[in-house]
Amino acid sequence: MSMGKPLPHDSAPMHVTGAARYIDDIPVPADCLHLAFGLSHVARGVISSMDLTAVRTAPGVVRVITAADLPGVNDISSAAHDEPLLAPGEVHYHGQPIFLVVATSHRLAREAAAKAEVVIDPKPAILTIDDAVAVRSYFEGGPLTWKRGDVDPAMAKADTIIEGKIEIGGQEHFYLEGQISLASPQDNGDMVLATSTQHPTEIQHKVAEALGTPFHAVRVETRRMGGGFGGKESQGNALAIACAVAAHLTGKPCKMRYDRDDDMIITGKRHDFRIAYKAGVDAKGKLVAVEFDQYVRCGWSQDLSLPVADRAMLHADNAYFIPNIRITSHRMKTNTCSATAFRGFGGPQGMVGIERVMDHMAHRLGMDPLEFRQANFYKKSKPQETPYGQPVKGFILPDLVRQLADTANYKTRRDAIRTWNEKSPILKKGIALTPVKFGISFTLTHLNQAGALVNVYADGSVTINHGGTEMGQGLFQKVAQVAAGEFGIDMGRVRITATDTGKVPNTSATAASSGSDLNGMAVKNAVDQIKDRIARFLAVDGVKPKDVLFADGKVTAGNTVLSFEEAAKMAHENRISLSATGFYATPDISWDRTIGKGHPFYYFAHGAAITEVVIDTLTGENKILRVDILHDVGQSLNPAVDVGQIEGGFVQGAGWLTTEELVWDDKGVLRTHAPSTYKIPACSDRPDVFNVALWNGENHVPTIYRSKAVGEPPLMLGISALMALSDAVGACGEAYPNLSAPATPERVYMAAKKVGAKR
Amino acid sequence: MYAFELERPTTLADAIKALGGEEAQPLSGGQTLIPTLKQRLAMPSTLVSLTGIDELKGIKNEGGTLTIGGATCHADVAKDGSYPALSDLAGHIGDPHVRNRGTIGGSLANNDPSACYPAAALASGATIVTNNREIAADNYFTGLFETALDEGEIITAVKFPIPEKAAYVKFEQPASRFALVGVFVTKGANGVRVAVTGASEGGVFRWTEAEEALSSNFAPSALEGLSVPADGMIGDLHGTPEYRAHLVGVITKRAVMKAG
Repeated sequence: MSMGKPLPHDSAPMHVTGAARYIDDIPVPADCLHLAFGLSHVARGVISSMDLTAVRTAPGVVRVITAADLPGVNDISSAAHDEPLLAPGEVHYHGQPIFLVVATSHRLAREAAAKAEVVIDPKPAILTIDDAVAVRSYFEGGPLTWKRGDVDPAMAKADTIIEGKIEIGGQEHFYLEGQISLASPQDNGDMVLATSTQHPTEIQHKVAEALGTPFHAVRVETRRMGGGFGGKESQGNALAIACAVAAHLTGKPCKMRYDRDDDMIITGKRHDFRIAYKAGVDAKGKLVAVEFDQYVRCGWSQDLSLPVADRAMLHADNAYFIPNIRITSHRMKTNTCSATAFRGFGGPQGMVGIERVMDHMAHRLGMDPLEFRQANFYKKSKPQETPYGQPVKGFILPDLVRQLADTANYKTRRDAIRTWNEKSPILKKGIALTPVKFGISFTLTHLNQAGALVNVYADGSVTINHGGTEMGQGLFQKVAQVAAGEFGIDMGRVRITATDTGKVPNTSATAASSGSDLNGMAVKNAVDQIKDRIARFLAVDGVKPKDVLFADGKVTAGNTVLSFEEAAKMAHENRISLSATGFYATPDISWDRTIGKGHPFYYFAHGAAITEVVIDTLTGENKILRVDILHDVGQSLNPAVDVGQIEGGFVQGAGWLTTEELVWDDKGVLRTHAPSTYKIPACSDRPDVFNVALWNGENHVPTIYRSKAVGEPPLMLGISALMALSDAVGACGEAYPNLSAPATPERVYMAAKKVGAKR
Repeated sequence: MYAFELERPTTLADAIKALGGEEAQPLSGGQTLIPTLKQRLAMPSTLVSLTGIDELKGIKNEGGTLTIGGATCHADVAKDGSYPALSDLAGHIGDPHVRNRGTIGGSLANNDPSACYPAAALASGATIVTNNREIAADNYFTGLFETALDEGEIITAVKFPIPEKAAYVKFEQPASRFALVGVFVTKGANGVRVAVTGASEGGVFRWTEAEEALSSNFAPSALEGLSVPADGMIGDLHGTPEYRAHLVGVITKRAVMKAG
């Protein structure tokens, strides 16, 4: 039985030997052309003249395409139709594509693009949240507010009130494989694309729109990505459309990849936030009222900003019952790259907001932050409702947190740290436990569906295909384990095939952590159909179809025992179809985003992390000393893959909140567009002591084998690193540290200096 | 990169001759120059490679003076060990690739404000030897990316008097690992010298106030209460002038402590 086994990633040997094929490894036809964009050099303005003569006459240039040359719709957006592929006259951010060069090599295309003479009359650019608030540059005309209870009178009656704000920086995805697409023209003007994307169906739709063809004329294939993290949900559209349009106009295959600097400059990142808060507790230390203003820097186009900002609001409670709450979300439109999906999709920012409140209030009350958090958890026994009206069922955090705190000796270590800090004037340690409760499902309800195609061949070998994409997270292996487990055959008999819009249509993005939940179920549904057909065929002599067993490579029907290949061969020879499509739609979800009420999530995934850090108060240098994590993946489909996701999620989350700093200058130019200026955690930056355990339990709702989604939730375990740094800074004096993110050495130093000065 | 001719002389005399040509430029380890050329920020017609000239290479320790050939790579200085603080510095420049290609002469001729070697040369009271003169380090560094070198003049060697005590400590910018602030301190025949790299808009500089304080008491505590003004410090995406000014004090103390 393959289910629940800690099998390595299906491509692991190929990843480490370099044999795994990414788009840039696919051999291209000799006449393949290569593309590069010419980019805007100002953040906002009107193109007054564009002389592309030198570009057109540069070596290797076959064609130069501007907005006016596009055959179909000039748009790359997911939904809002507000994001032209090529700026038609006005530019909205530094780095916006203006024209497209088609040349005989990648290098010649880039060199030619640099020869353009584009004059842009600059207009005042709205770069920061402050700039945008000052001129009320909002998406949807103004802020969106959701509330429960009556905040103001509850706050007025509160015993203790805190107020504050935290700045939370954005984050570059830094997928190792950059954005890339390859388009090959076919008969009848059809187009086939190989694309590094989390959303082949959206690529298909957008390419069809750009070419003015029905969807059936475009086929998109994705075998694997070298990392996605949300950065390939919508950000691959520009390259895919550019390739398809150029292939359409030239009749030749076209390929495009961004160099790393261009990739960082052009594509969207995690939204940076400012969260202002006010919170009140009663005399017993129970939250009675919380008010949030979440300011979201969305960039110049809508992209996925509305659902991202919604999810931030949906996680403003995290694990805590807040009877009276008002969350106001300000979606600011700015002249910066259009912020996009990033692992957690706004949830992490919303969660940082409430965890900051918990940390700040515990500090004010002089309580252990963990005890304050525990005292405000949702009740386990009697489900309480979230601010948006969903009962919190299957809530295991009280038990999970207690177990983690016990096994990692939280209390003893916290006391030891207090004592150590008293004797250490320069180095200070800190420790924090933060919980995660993350809602699983797309908030746009109709996206919660998936399809699959399973083929059993006459020799008993099997291929599976589904709408999910593989980006290194191990989805394909998990789904293959489902198929092998259901058929009762070895993993070696199951071949995982590239995601292909021609095999499974109308799919959703591999996003919202939903890949295994949705596609595992869809594949199971297809497998069940094939098994049912084989069972009905074999169920003779009084054997009922439901009693036919598929296990250990055999199919057993009463006294008849066949190997799986014999069963397949026999079924085929008796004209039984061995191919089936499967389908799954998540049950029990509904959502009205305008009023902020409903049941948007099928269930919640949980986890908690304890992080211990040390800081140098003279410089702000800091280090994570130890991390202990207990995470809830329900009944794990693959513990090895799940633990990998949890480790990676924590490191990426901690990187976001500590070392990864995006800097734009006062002209709106991104100054951190390479690893020489932007610090992502490397392997050597992971904690020396890194204990990760899986919670022993199963999902309370019937997901695939009662497992839980694992893609995004562990990222938010990294919040414990920020709170541990806050704890360490707090050891410098009496004042609350007010640490913003990323907590770079300079921010930690400045905060420690401020706290120390108030001693 | 624009097209250029490459000369590979094997003697200093041939190199000087080749550098007399129009728009000729010396190429040592190329760890700064080649990326600059790739960015098309320079357009020399001829590059004269200095790495094939044996007389520019090698390390000699004679009478308490360490003489390092201009085309000696950082890795060789790191291995040498006769001036431990200098070898320690060389062993932590960039990465293995940079250390095995980049040279001391190239680094000093370029005088990048974040480079490590200028701090060592200035704090050691080194002498920069060129093809036609000797320049004291105090007179050599004239500003950001600027030195006393004339057009066509090349560094043939650097002479370091080996001090009694010395240490280099740098605070690394975490992404590039260049020095956000780097401090080299020495105590020897020339007294106490403190040189700071990475921090100032004017490039490497001597912190004379600290030198005076350390002259009477070579201990971190002697620096208590001393600070450099934030005015004139570099402010960029990696740190404010105030933070850099503060770090100069902390890193100098660490360097003194390390020097022992």
